[in-house]
Amino acid sequence: MATDNKDNHWKEDFPIQQLEARQVTRRDFAKFLCLVSGGLATGSGYVAAKAHLFPGEEVQGEHFVCKLDELPVGGTKSFVIPGSMIPYVLIHVEDGELRAYEQKCTHLSCAVFYKPGTGKIECPCHNGWFDAYTGEVLAGPPPRALPRLDVVLKGDDIFVTAYDGTSEQVQS
Amino acid sequence: MSTFREGQNQAHPNKSNTLILALILILIMNVSIQIWLLYTALNNALAQNKDIAIPAFLASLFLFLIGFFWLYYLPTGAKKRKVKQNVNFSDTYH
Repeated sequence: MATDNKDNHWKEDFPIQQLEARQVTRRDFAKFLCLVSGGLATGSGYVAAKAHLFPGEEVQGEHFVCKLDELPVGGTKSFVIPGSMIPYVLIHVEDGELRAYEQKCTHLSCAVFYKPGTGKIECPCHNGWFDAYTGEVLAGPPPRALPRLDVVLKGDDIFVTAYDGTSEQVQS
Repeated sequence: MSTFREGQNQAHPNKSNTLILALILILIMNVSIQIWLLYTALNNALAQNKDIAIPAFLASLFLFLIGFFWLYYLPTGAKKRKVKQNVNFSDTYH
């Protein structure tokens, strides 16, 4: 039998009554893992339902952004399409081409910026890099290319439309 | 005749130990695969490749069901055993 002058701290770690236990039992841990597993399955179901039942809406029609003379070579212009909250950036690349991308990094949605003279778009948050001509990921953590818009030049006016992947390059 | 549960409760603690460790390892492996499936499905859905989303969901659901029914083999431990005498042990050692 334990006496008062003995160290009885072991009782705190190994209580006789289950309710007094402060550490997680392996049984509870296994049940918790099963709960996490159910949560992940639910999350996958949500992704599948959202992808098939509620797909993101594409940009409809053409939208005016700015005049060509407002955008110097190597310059950029941020804009939003009316009725949408998504920020876009229009880039006048050094060789005269015009490109428009979503200005949100595909990693954690930080704002991305064109680095003049490099032909690259930078995400300063985690050093992610995209190709300014295609939007493809060049380096860093972003998992996908930047969503892109087509640029249409009508006289001196710059318009953007939904990207269909077949449009020819627009040169200023 | 002994049932599965009685037999499991009477098993040597070493055996129960090994069983519960194996159960937890399998569950961790299932959860790891599910995380990968969710990550892949989400990335592809955001890149407009939504064809992978439903197979990934079905695979994830299947892994969850495996884990759920797997819990049946979890040793129930001493608390489910029948106690013949209702002794309050906490009062015995002081």
